[in-house]
Amino acid sequence: MKKERITKILLALVLVMLPVNFYLIFQVAPTERIMGDVQRIFYLHVSLAVSAYIGFGVLFVSSIIFLIKKNLYWDTIAFSAGEVGLMFSTLVLITGSFWARPVWNVWWTWDPRLVTMLILWFIYIGYFMLRKSIPERMKKARYSAIIGILGFLDVPVVRLATKWWRSIHPRLSKEGGGLDPLMIKVMLFSLFTFVVFTIIVILFRFRVAWAEERLYSILNEMEEYHE
Amino acid sequence: MGFVGNTLAIVKKDLLLELRAKEAISIMVFLSLLLLVVFNLSVEIDTENVSRLAPGILWVVFAFSGILGMGRTSLSERDDEAYLNIYFSSVTMESFYLAKVISNLLFLLLMEVFTIISFVVLFDYERLILALPALTLPLVLGSFGFSVVGTLFSFLSTGSRFGEIILPFLFLPVVVPILLGGVSSTDIILNGSTGDTPAKWLKILLVFDLLYLCISLILFRYIIEE
Repeated sequence: MKKERITKILLALVLVMLPVNFYLIFQVAPTERIMGDVQRIFYLHVSLAVSAYIGFGVLFVSSIIFLIKKNLYWDTIAFSAGEVGLMFSTLVLITGSFWARPVWNVWWTWDPRLVTMLILWFIYIGYFMLRKSIPERMKKARYSAIIGILGFLDVPVVRLATKWWRSIHPRLSKEGGGLDPLMIKVMLFSLFTFVVFTIIVILFRFRVAWAEERLYSILNEMEEYHE
Repeated sequence: MGFVGNTLAIVKKDLLLELRAKEAISIMVFLSLLLLVVFNLSVEIDTENVSRLAPGILWVVFAFSGILGMGRTSLSERDDEAYLNIYFSSVTMESFYLAKVISNLLFLLLMEVFTIISFVVLFDYERLILALPALTLPLVLGSFGFSVVGTLFSFLSTGSRFGEIILPFLFLPVVVPILLGGVSSTDIILNGSTGDTPAKWLKILLVFDLLYLCISLILFRYIIEE
């Protein structure tokens, strides 16, 4: 029951932190001189990006452990984290677009960071497509673990390649240098809030998925027994 | 027979099979020709812009024709579960995988040479033939990367219900570094942009190839394990 208690504490923590975080972002953080209020989206955007990478990172690690241990427990963690990562990365792309429109004057630009996130998004869309297309439980877990591992390892290579590729073309915009100390504090708080939030969401998603998993295995056993 | 002997024996088997059936090669070659025609009809290409557009068109054609052809070669192993004979033989899964990578690489290179010749004819761009010696290295490194990833993923896709439909979804995002490296190095060779050499792009292709070869050699056994 120790696990249960940690979950409850984390949940209580995040329920307090989320509203505080929004209050800090919209009320406390100073308005940026050039970009104005739209800059506030940044606190969410960056935190969401970190959350997405946490999701994909957990997927990567638990995919490796699954292939070694062959225990569906790890596959369940992997795809739960993957779903959460996919959700957050979708939000990253959308919030980024909202920010880019007024500031860079475009909805989308082929900046290395943007391209890497988009490619990653496509890789995990493929991951879930593959899962959907394999009915056999163990095979599904094995095959998708391979994508989970290969997909994540692609991140640094894609990042480097897009960086060099972009350097041929003119850069659209350079990001500003010095941040207000208060801005940094709000940003750190937002990051921390979202890390806890991500862990909680993955945990809850996992609990539902694992309950389903056990239910199916009981149903299967019953079917075999009747035969 | 050792590792090398086994690998070469399977490569020989694949080449012989392809020589008789001509399935993968005909898919790749005709698709690449068709794609070139489609590009010619849909994009206004003239002597002015052909050298600028050539790298992109060529590598898109290589990627699409290549992935469909590779899907076919792994399907021929899935037919009648032929790969199980190898699974139960003394051949290791690593040498089976490596053999498939090599035979797919050879098919890809054949298709690419054919595509380049067709490109020269259809777009009236003879410089491409003259640049062929310089293009050899990017072509080989890029195709090797395609083959390493494509071979692994084609075995994944042929084991799924969606079949080859899912292959481009898995393959294209992962090979983005190869596409960028291939297109950029080809562009530098053909158009010689100022002060840029293809060397750094060849480096990225090499890093990608080695990274994915090592990982795929480790992971391939988990696909076949039924």
